[in-house]
Parts: sequence; C-alpha cells; structure tokens
Amino acid sequence: MSSHNRFWRELRHWRGVLLLAAIAVGSIWWAITGQLVLFIHPRYLVFTVIMAVVALAFGVARVLVSTGRVADADHSHSDHSDRSGDEDDAVDTRLQRALSMAALTLATLLATGALLLPPSTLSVATASQRDVTASSTSSITGSSTAGVTTSAGADAQTFRHYTVLEWSSLLSQTSDPAFYANKPADVTGFVTPDPAASDVFYVTRFVITCCAVDAQPVGVPVYLPDWTHKFSPDDWVTVTGEFGLNGSAASSAVLALHPAGVTHVAEPRDPYLF
Amino acid sequence: MTQRSGVLNRPSVVHAGASRRRGLWIPAAGLVLLCALGLVRIFSPVQGGLLPDRVQDGVTLALSVLIESMPFVVLGIVFSIVVRIWLPEAAIMRVLPRNPLARRAVVSMIGMFLPVCECGNVPLARGLMVRGLTVAESMTFLFAAPIINPITIITTHQAFGFDDGILVGRLVGGFVIANLLGWVFSRHPNPESLLTPRFAAECRLPEHDEHGSRLERSIRLFGRETAMLLPALFVGAIAAALVQTLVPRSVLVALGSNPVWSIAAMLVLAFVISVCSNVDAFFILPFASTFLPGSVVVFLLFGAMLDIKMIALLRTTFTSRTLLQVATIIVLASAAVGVIVNVLA
Repeated sequence: MSSHNRFWRELRHWRGVLLLAAIAVGSIWWAITGQLVLFIHPRYLVFTVIMAVVALAFGVARVLVSTGRVADADHSHSDHSDRSGDEDDAVDTRLQRALSMAALTLATLLATGALLLPPSTLSVATASQRDVTASSTSSITGSSTAGVTTSAGADAQTFRHYTVLEWSSLLSQTSDPAFYANKPADVTGFVTPDPAASDVFYVTRFVITCCAVDAQPVGVPVYLPDWTHKFSPDDWVTVTGEFGLNGSAASSAVLALHPAGVTHVAEPRDPYLF
Repeated sequence: MTQRSGVLNRPSVVHAGASRRRGLWIPAAGLVLLCALGLVRIFSPVQGGLLPDRVQDGVTLALSVLIESMPFVVLGIVFSIVVRIWLPEAAIMRVLPRNPLARRAVVSMIGMFLPVCECGNVPLARGLMVRGLTVAESMTFLFAAPIINPITIITTHQAFGFDDGILVGRLVGGFVIANLLGWVFSRHPNPESLLTPRFAAECRLPEHDEHGSRLERSIRLFGRETAMLLPALFVGAIAAALVQTLVPRSVLVALGSNPVWSIAAMLVLAFVISVCSNVDAFFILPFASTFLPGSVVVFLLFGAMLDIKMIALLRTTFTSRTLLQVATIIVLASAAVGVIVNVLA
C-alpha cells in the first residue's frame, strides 16, 4: 500500500476528532474570554461549554484507545474502524475521494481561520443587506421591547436606559412627535447609512435570538447633515438627543433623532442585543 | 453474542495480514497545530480588520452555525452510542408495534424522549438503522423528531402560543409529513439502495463483530461518527454562510405579503437559514407580522426537516437521488400544509 494511501486513511480516521476538537477548544476559549456571545445567545453558553468538554473528553479517549491505554482485549488492531477504512477505499470512487478531500480542506481552512483570527461582530455589510429600516422589530419577544402606553408616563431616567431596540419599537408604534417630547434618548450602536438619504444614518445594533445567523439589525434614524464628514459606516457611536420630525426629505423615516451630541465610542464588550 | 460466534472471528480472518498499529502522528500534528494557532493568536497584535467586511462576516456566520449546532451533534452522537452499544438489542424492537403504520407512528414520537434537533438526529437515525429499524422507519423518525420533541414544542409555544394555528399546524404537519415519507419509502423495492454504499455496508455488519469492551467500542464509534459528520457540518455551515452573505435577506422578506410568493420565500429562507428546530420559532417571530400564518408554518416545517446544513449531513447516509426525492416530497407537503393553514386561519 502506497504511503499516499496510508496518509489519506489516517487523515480520514482522525479528521472528525480533530475538527471537533478545534470547535470545542474554540468554544471553551471564547467562553472564557467572553467572546462566545459574538456567535450565540447567552442562554446557550453553559450547554455549549458542557458539550465542548464532553467532545474533548471523547477525543482524548479516542487517542488513548489507539495507544492501547484503555483496556484492550485485542491488540491485533483489526478493529472495525480499520476494516471500514479499507472498505471505504474500495467503495469510494476517485470523484468521491476528491470531494471528500476538498471538504476536508475547506473545513480545515475555516477551523484555522477561526482560531487564528480574532472573533468579530457582524459588520455594516450584513446590516445593510438585512434591511435595518424594516419596521418588523416590534414583535421580537424575549427582548426588552417597549409599549407606547407603558412608556408614556415614564421618567427621563427610564428613557436614558432605552436601547435602539426599545426606541425602534416605539417608533414603529407611533410617529406622533408630541409623544417623544421631553423624552431624552441616549443610544449606542454602529453607524449604518440610510440607503435613501445622505443626511440620515441609523444607529444600529444586531438583535440575536439564537445565534449570529439570525442576527437582525435594529436601528433608529439620526438626522445629521454632513455626518459623513465626521463618521463612517461601522463606527461605534453614542448619540444623545430627542426625537422629532425628520428633516430629511429623501429618508423614508417620519421621525429621526435630533442629536445634541454624537461621540465616537469603543465597541461594547457585548455588541449584540438580546 | 454467543449465537454470533460464527461470525465473530470473520474480521480477523479476512484481515489477518492487515494487522498494524494505528499511527498517532496525525492527532499529534493536530495538537501541535492547535497549540501553534493558539500561541499566534495570543501573541499577535492583530485585532481584526484583516479581512474585508463581507469575508469576515461570512466567517462569523459559518462559525455561528457551527458553534450553535456542535453541542446538538455531540449530544446526538452520545444518544446514538447509547442506542447502538448500551441498549440491549431487543429493547427497541420489542416495544414497537408490529403493524408497519402503527410502528412508524410510534417511531415518529421517539423525539419526545430523545430531544435533539435535526442535526443531532442524523447520528441517532444512523444508530437506529444499524440497530434494525428499516430505512423508511428511520426516515420517519429523522423528519418527525426535530418537530415532535419537548424543546421544540416549548419554544414554539413560547413564541406563538396557540395563535393562528401555528403550533398545531407545525405539530400535526410534521407528524403527517414524516409518516407520509415513511409510507412512500416503505414501498421501495430495495431500501438499501437509498443509502450510501458506505453506510449500507456499515448496516450489514453485525454490531458485535467488534472487539473490545463496551466503553472502547463507544469511543471508537464516537471517532467514526465524528469523522463522517464533522466535515459535512463544516461544509454545510460554510455553504449556509456563503448564501447568506450573497443573498440579501430583505429580498425574501419583500415577498412576504403575497400568499403564493410568501410560501416560496419561506421555503427558501428556511433552507438558507439553517438554524436548529429547537430555536427557529424565535427566529421567525419578528417576521410573523409580515408573513401569513401558513407561510410561518411552512418555515417551521420545512426548516426543521431540511436546510443547507442538513443536506450536507444527510449526504453521509443517503444518496443524492434519495435526498432529491425526500426534498421534493417535503417541499410539496409542507407547502400544502401552509396553504391549508392559510385557508383555515
């Protein structure tokens, strides 16, 4: 048997354990550094870490079985996996083998990239193609949405704690400027340009219900002519001010935040809203 | 085991010349690579911005699919090991009714006791097939269990309550479609031809051929199942991320208000999104006001049974031809359920 075949068989034998170990190590590592929330909702943290530990334990055990450390009645190693390895060679066509090699290469690339690159938040590129201006956010449950009736009588302190999620849910319920008088906003998010108007941008956050795959951008419009001189898309900013009629003719938003102050801030440790 | 003593020695006889030690240099190299990557990561000054936004987002999305489904896949493999190695062979077969229809109906309820989502179901269904369930029966399990299981029922109820018949539509629809699939494929003259040759070969082998303690066999089985499933899971995650970065989601949502197009859009959305059935109700909830209830049911039915990631995973077990037939049936049946819910609601 050629050494090439031998290499392939060995690789095929270990690929699952190695790929699983890579995700498991990554998950545990990111859980420790607090970055796992960049990928999944916090409610799955414990479950994910437990299963990652289980996976690593099995991986280590698999290596121990191969070294013969685990009680082994049969040292000839004519075990099932070796046999199915041989059968695989017989069953596989050239094409299947090539596909399987390509899959493994792709997977290895992703695993390497995952561990090598710093985990990162989704960017404005994804926000803009998921339609930040859509007003369907009011029904996100499990998240802290605000109702018009309950919010009407709240004090200024309450409104300062509202995130873009609560504000956008209010905006989708009422566009009466009088409602927003004396309700100071103080929101943080990243800048997403309004596709229709150059003098409006959205302070945006991703809301995730399960994991980054379902991340839905939610934002509130900010009316600030010439914002492009000071800020660029994807910048994290804190905007304070009050909502009023949108001064922009081109924008589809009726109301917009009239900023009293817009400041650059660092990306929060926990960039998503839940 | 004694009654199998006739075949017990077969492998050693056939492979008497193949005795060799499994080399450990590949896991060793993997460990070194892991450590090297870790060290580079810890000591490198790079803080992101290395890749263009879209590529970086693609990596984040792919990783998010992977990390979200990894625990369920591991759990599924563990359940599958229990079924294949630790449960007495007769245990499952004895409790199942003899009548094929009743049998499949009971099989589609197994998810109530082994709650894993669709990706975890793949190893479990493989285990059940090796343990003697027919291909049609395990298909029934495979496609019913992601929907008819306690976690999915609870999350769907949390998201929708009993509004618009969404929960009922999902449960009844899931049960009917899975049993329909089971019935259709039970008519197949040669069920083994539905499986990939490799998996068919694995089913033919008597499980007790293997040497070693139960613990050792469990660990080996874990290695084999991961070797099959993990590359598929990675490829599925990459494909799902790629499609998501390329197809604007707003395009699909824009189709939502048309009764026919919204069903088509939901089928595509469900296929692309690749979130597990345990949590997909929360995902679709924000769109519930845009889409008709029947279309939401279509998403919840089809997405739980098939998506990009699932196709990659299922391909480890079924041939492409089988998957195409399965997909056709599920698409048509879930669209039909969607239309019915739309008419009734």
